[in-house]
Amino acid sequence: MFGEINFPGQHDDEQVILFLRRHWFIFLMRLLLVIVSLIGLVFVYVFFNLLSSDFSQSDYFNLLLFAESLGTLFIWNLFFILWIDFYLDAWIVTNERIINISQKGFFNRDISELKLTKIQDVTSEIVGVIPTLLNYGNIYVQTAAEKERFAFYQIPNPNEVKNTIVQLQENEQHHEEVEMGQAIRGEL
Amino acid sequence: MSAIIITLYFVIVVIFLSFGATIVFHLLHYKINRRVSGMISLIYIIGAALLLISNFILFQQVAWNQIFSIFKL
Repeated sequence: MFGEINFPGQHDDEQVILFLRRHWFIFLMRLLLVIVSLIGLVFVYVFFNLLSSDFSQSDYFNLLLFAESLGTLFIWNLFFILWIDFYLDAWIVTNERIINISQKGFFNRDISELKLTKIQDVTSEIVGVIPTLLNYGNIYVQTAAEKERFAFYQIPNPNEVKNTIVQLQENEQHHEEVEMGQAIRGEL
Repeated sequence: MSAIIITLYFVIVVIFLSFGATIVFHLLHYKINRRVSGMISLIYIIGAALLLISNFILFQQVAWNQIFSIFKL
């Protein structure tokens, strides 16, 4: 299902079970900035044309078009900057571990990982009207070794994701116990 | 006057291109999904090139000397 997905440090036999990004609504909220900017450009164009009936014949008309075009260039960049920020923030759940890839701005990127066997507790939360309606929320994974909680923010279907993580953790725990038993009995 | 305008425009274009280069770098460097990254990069580059060409044409069509003649008292 996630054959196209690759990430740095992926093991040869590691399977991607879940690939998560923030809910599309979060991107839509950020996109409002782009939409407002575009509306602003249209508003300025209409305003100057209404101000003077022969504005399109004046020397300033080309200047307005140039300024609008320049604004569009930077809005184009802004859209892709927002998209990159959304696209490069990801959580990957594999059959071995959880990987958190966090992009903050252009040149600040954190990648942290957590082995499934170190998970102690998984909590999901959906807070607010819109998250409840659109079914997105946060997941907190408590580990045995670390003080900090491993968090997934604003992801779709948090309850299902939590159940999947718990299931994978139980499978991995069972697998480790079986291996340990075999090692103790000298079967390995 | 025109030299100042051209220099200012050049600086703006350089700023735009530096942002563009950073965007393409991020899309192509962090290969989470190669197909999506490639497609988005292509859309970005084509769109940016078209916008930049049209912006340059509009820049040439502005009568800068007549616009700045109001400052000459």
